[in-house]
Amino acid sequence: MYDGQESAAVDNVTISISQGEYVAVLGRNGSGKSTLAKHFNVILLPDSGTVVVDNMTTSDDGLIFDIRRTVGMVFQNPDNQIVATVVEDDVAFAPENLGIPPSEIRERVDGALKSVGMYEFRKHAPHQLSGGQKQRVAIAGVLAMQSKCIVFDEASSMLDPKGRRELTATIKKLNQDGATVINITHFMDEAIEADRVIVMDKGRVLLDGTPRDIFADRKLLEDAGLDLPQAAALADCLRQDGLDIKSGVLTADELVEEIICLL
Amino acid sequence: MLKDITIGQYFGGESFIHRLDPRNKIIMTALLMAAVFVSSGFAGYGVIALFLIICYMISGIPFRMILKSIKPIIPIIVFTSILNLFFIKEGDILFEWRFIAITDSGVRFAFFLVARIFCLVVGASLITYTTKPMELTDGIESLFGPLKRIKFPVHEVAMMMTIALRFVPTLIEETDKIMSAQKARGASLDTGGLVKRVKALIPVLIPLFISAFRRAHDLAVAMECRCYNGGEGRTKMKKLRFGFIDIIGAFAMIMLIAGIVVLNILGVV
Ligand SMILES: Nc1ncnc2c1ncn2[C@@H]1O[C@H](COP(=O)(O)OP(=O)(O)OP(=O)(O)O)[C@@H](O)[C@H]1O
Ligand SMILES: [Mg+2]
Repeated sequence: MYDGQESAAVDNVTISISQGEYVAVLGRNGSGKSTLAKHFNVILLPDSGTVVVDNMTTSDDGLIFDIRRTVGMVFQNPDNQIVATVVEDDVAFAPENLGIPPSEIRERVDGALKSVGMYEFRKHAPHQLSGGQKQRVAIAGVLAMQSKCIVFDEASSMLDPKGRRELTATIKKLNQDGATVINITHFMDEAIEADRVIVMDKGRVLLDGTPRDIFADRKLLEDAGLDLPQAAALADCLRQDGLDIKSGVLTADELVEEIICLL
Repeated sequence: MLKDITIGQYFGGESFIHRLDPRNKIIMTALLMAAVFVSSGFAGYGVIALFLIICYMISGIPFRMILKSIKPIIPIIVFTSILNLFFIKEGDILFEWRFIAITDSGVRFAFFLVARIFCLVVGASLITYTTKPMELTDGIESLFGPLKRIKFPVHEVAMMMTIALRFVPTLIEETDKIMSAQKARGASLDTGGLVKRVKALIPVLIPLFISAFRRAHDLAVAMECRCYNGGEGRTKMKKLRFGFIDIIGAFAMIMLIAGIVVLNILGVV
């Protein structure tokens, strides 16, 4: 509940995300996604109810530091996340805060910068970079924390299509390496990569399930202000034109396969 | 046009001076300032000027950068030297016209003043040209570290300086953007008298402040998310190291000071 607001921004949400899961969160503007995310690492505390991260309750003052090192978070606007005047110093910020020895920080920083493709820009000043490049630096800054769980809050919104695909691949790789990933996004094609999709509307969880289940219900999605992923939308059109395409097609590859079967 | 503002802008390089420990450079700059104030004759300023020229040559900073750092203070130099020229009444009169009298000691004082300001600005610019802002704040944090004992927030001050340096270009860019946006809506920012122009700035400043506060809030959240918890328990990726080249640098500085002191004692003008 924000001051001066009539209703709670996030209300009656009960979800449990297990270690190693890859969750996408969808929902229209103002549906409470960011507000929910900020509860995961004690930026906000719930007025009622509890949030538990890795067996730590967020309302416990003594645990704030440990919770924050467990849950990393990347926000939408990179300009307001970069602290230092040199790229590599900024990526080193979080590990420095954690009190990690210098040589290990160096390794982490180089690793994180390489994984977002910004290694050759490590000596640049942030204001010499484009928006998308800054966003990659901000992502590297959180990767260098090597936290168990990373929340991306519309982190891809500044990236070009190629950059977004690369980010999606990076996220996938992080998840395969064991990190829990929560990706808040407006891009359906990112959401289908996840193991689980949560759709929020007016501060509540509207839908919660696998991408295949969620994107099967076009009507409900449209009520929540969302689109189908591109391939699924195309499949839908083709089906309406009388082609025999089975429902539940999500990715371009699946659609291609269906069409080949028809030929 | 706003982009041209350089606030101690770093000028990359790998020279001897670039590689000195920032703490050493800060102390050396302080010593240079002391030398500038102690020096009391033309010879002394000649030696300091020579020293500075050699430093600039070693650092590979082009001499036009010196002009650039001097340009903004030219009015101050002109103003103070004129004051000195006309208002010092001691010494032999060189030139007289009605109530205006210029004396030889007036000329001397005016010259010393100009020389002092020149050496100070050029010397102070050298450290900002050859030291990354981040190293400078690290150096300050480390040098003033002992003040933590008397509860002086050394780390916090250094952090504030870092963030200010980080956001100066961002805010300048933003000011440019807001000005363009206001112009596109028909505001005239560069015409009219002084009062009119100052008034025209209000619709630029208000959005700028609002956005700066929003940025500050976002940045605070982002820093908390990255486990920022003040200076306690923090480590540094780049450790400052006082190496062999620093000994050479410090030695050169000490020689300069000694030279100035000797010149003073000998009374060379
Ligand atoms: N600082 C705040 N003060 C007051 N109300 C706020 C604040 N931040 C968010 N809100 C309100 O809370 C609700 C949820 O906002 P939230 O930022 O969580 O939405 P979101 O789902 O992240 O939207 P978007 O897709 O635009 O990022 C909105 O109605 C918004 O107006
Ligand atoms: Mg949001």
